[in-house]
Amino acid sequence: MNGPREVEASAQKSQVAQMLPGLVMQLLNYALILLLALGIGALIIASSGRDPVAAYQALFHGAFGSRMAVANTLDRSSVMILAGLSAVFAFSTSVRNLGIEGQLYAGAFLAAWIGFGIEGLPAPLHIALAFVMSAVAGAAWSLVPILLRTRWGVDEIVPSLMFNYIAIHFTAYLVAFPFKSDTTILPGTDPIYATAKLPRFVRGSPLNAGFLLALVLVFVVYWFLFRTKQGYELRMVGMNPAFAAYAGLPVKRSALMGMLLSGAMAGVGGASLILGFFGRFITQFSQGYGWDGIVISLLAKNNPIAVIPAALFYAGLANGSLEMQSATQVPITLVSTIKGVIMFLVTAQFFLRYLRHRYPQWA
Amino acid sequence: MGLAESLARLINVALFGSSLRMTTPVLYATLGGIFSAESGVLNVGLEGLMLVGAFFGIVGSVTFGSAWAGLLVAVLACVLLSLVFAFVHLEWGADEMIVGLALNVLGQGLTTYLLLVMFNVAGYYSSDDIVGFELVRIPIVQDLPLVGEILSGQFALVYLAFVSVAVSYVFLYRTPWGFWLRSVGESPEAAEAVGINMRLMKYAGVLVGGAFCGVGGAFLSLAHLNLFSEGMTAGRGFLALAAVNFGERKPLKCMVAALIFGFTDALAIRLQRFGLPSQVVLMLPYIATVVILTLSAIQRIAARRARLATKG
Repeated sequence: MNGPREVEASAQKSQVAQMLPGLVMQLLNYALILLLALGIGALIIASSGRDPVAAYQALFHGAFGSRMAVANTLDRSSVMILAGLSAVFAFSTSVRNLGIEGQLYAGAFLAAWIGFGIEGLPAPLHIALAFVMSAVAGAAWSLVPILLRTRWGVDEIVPSLMFNYIAIHFTAYLVAFPFKSDTTILPGTDPIYATAKLPRFVRGSPLNAGFLLALVLVFVVYWFLFRTKQGYELRMVGMNPAFAAYAGLPVKRSALMGMLLSGAMAGVGGASLILGFFGRFITQFSQGYGWDGIVISLLAKNNPIAVIPAALFYAGLANGSLEMQSATQVPITLVSTIKGVIMFLVTAQFFLRYLRHRYPQWA
Repeated sequence: MGLAESLARLINVALFGSSLRMTTPVLYATLGGIFSAESGVLNVGLEGLMLVGAFFGIVGSVTFGSAWAGLLVAVLACVLLSLVFAFVHLEWGADEMIVGLALNVLGQGLTTYLLLVMFNVAGYYSSDDIVGFELVRIPIVQDLPLVGEILSGQFALVYLAFVSVAVSYVFLYRTPWGFWLRSVGESPEAAEAVGINMRLMKYAGVLVGGAFCGVGGAFLSLAHLNLFSEGMTAGRGFLALAAVNFGERKPLKCMVAALIFGFTDALAIRLQRFGLPSQVVLMLPYIATVVILTLSAIQRIAARRARLATKG
């Protein structure tokens, strides 16, 4: 009885052994990309007459240099993990969802609406309702672009992009008119009730239960994609749509499902920021987290577990840049340039090709 | 005020004139998208390229004291950035969509960074040192009724945009280079087999595309307003991408799409004067895009069905 299971176990072990050099090489590749990106960033800092070493020291210190910095970075990573998972769903089903940012807005607005619109619910129920509705809102916001593709063969790239702008302007309209609040100078909604606020753990840091939710969802998504038949189908369709169609897999349904799950995850990401950090919906609350999510899923090679370190890295960049600016007067937007360079190179094969050539025994 | 009177105030000759002006930057970026797409490279970074063009247009104008010098600097900056795009994609095998998105991230980051470092301002830069483009009055045309008001008194780049459409059409469909470029996009293997230098054609497509984006960007910052503000392209590069998509890369059809966007833009601005909230106004071009893409897809499918039906 134990025979097949042992064989399977040893097969898995050898699989791990095979994957290890690939992993090392991948990490080395990332290290080189990061080095290059930081190098270009240093050139830009130096050419504007400031000290790159001091700037990067402040950047690192602001990201991971103290207990509080770590807590804040973990907090910032919550929405990035969720945006990353959103992109993982889309890209592993070969749906090019460039509308994550807009889906984030849709989810965030609905979470806020549930948060300030309903009074008297017990906290767990209130929070759960807000998250569920934000998932629905995010999925709904992704529906038109994906239906355009599955029904009428319109490439989803442009429509999903357009829905970002529609979401940003539409929610701005909502808070300027129907939901205009007298409680804030910023264009935003009323504050959410205390029952909808996510509990915080660390005194003085916004780190909250949203981070735990993000971690739980990482494992749920991993389990779904790699341990269920449905997830397997989605990934097969993503790997090779033509073959999947030939093998009788429901290609259109998988694309629809991948997109809706992606939208739902983005909606939850938006909600986590509102319920955990801002406490109300405000316009321009997202600093491009949807776009960060895309790069995070690329860095993670569409593996949900690997989304965590990738998101922590991005969150560290974002938080560190604040201290960099206040300590060394290097503007935070430098980080966007570094992110841009990383994005340029993340799918490039240059370093990998070199490493494979240099260390053929690993390839 | 009666309805007829309101409509007359809303839709008049000046509206068409401003539509042409609003169309121009999108049209340049659209042409850029066409050249890139025809060589088989999808460039979703038109937005970032335009933004870089708008910024360096200002830099050039302030440095050399001439709008045309600004234009040249903008084009150079965009060509350089496109070269990086093409290189990373063609030599190092990076994914074109991701590198295109990288252009957008980099464009946004670099321009806001440089705005702070070079001009010491955040948000926007406006100054008397910026020399903008001048309006052109066309001698005989300006005296024509109706048409004169629309066609005369525009910026030279507006006219050039429409000339560029014609030139692009002739280049792509009537010259051997255009044929080579398109065949590389159509079928790279076949093109290589008959001895066309695929790589060269792709570089050319991407670089020409970048140059057009530079012109569109410089038009944004140096015509009419003479200022640069963070993210001032406001999605026009994505609208251009939509126009390329809708027009199936054919210059004339893409131009029609760009004109529709320009018209919606101009109309939306006027609707604002009639009390329509600005947030709704800003949304209109994007909704229009989705509607247009949907309608054209439905029409395409209907046409195919009709063809199949007549065949029997």
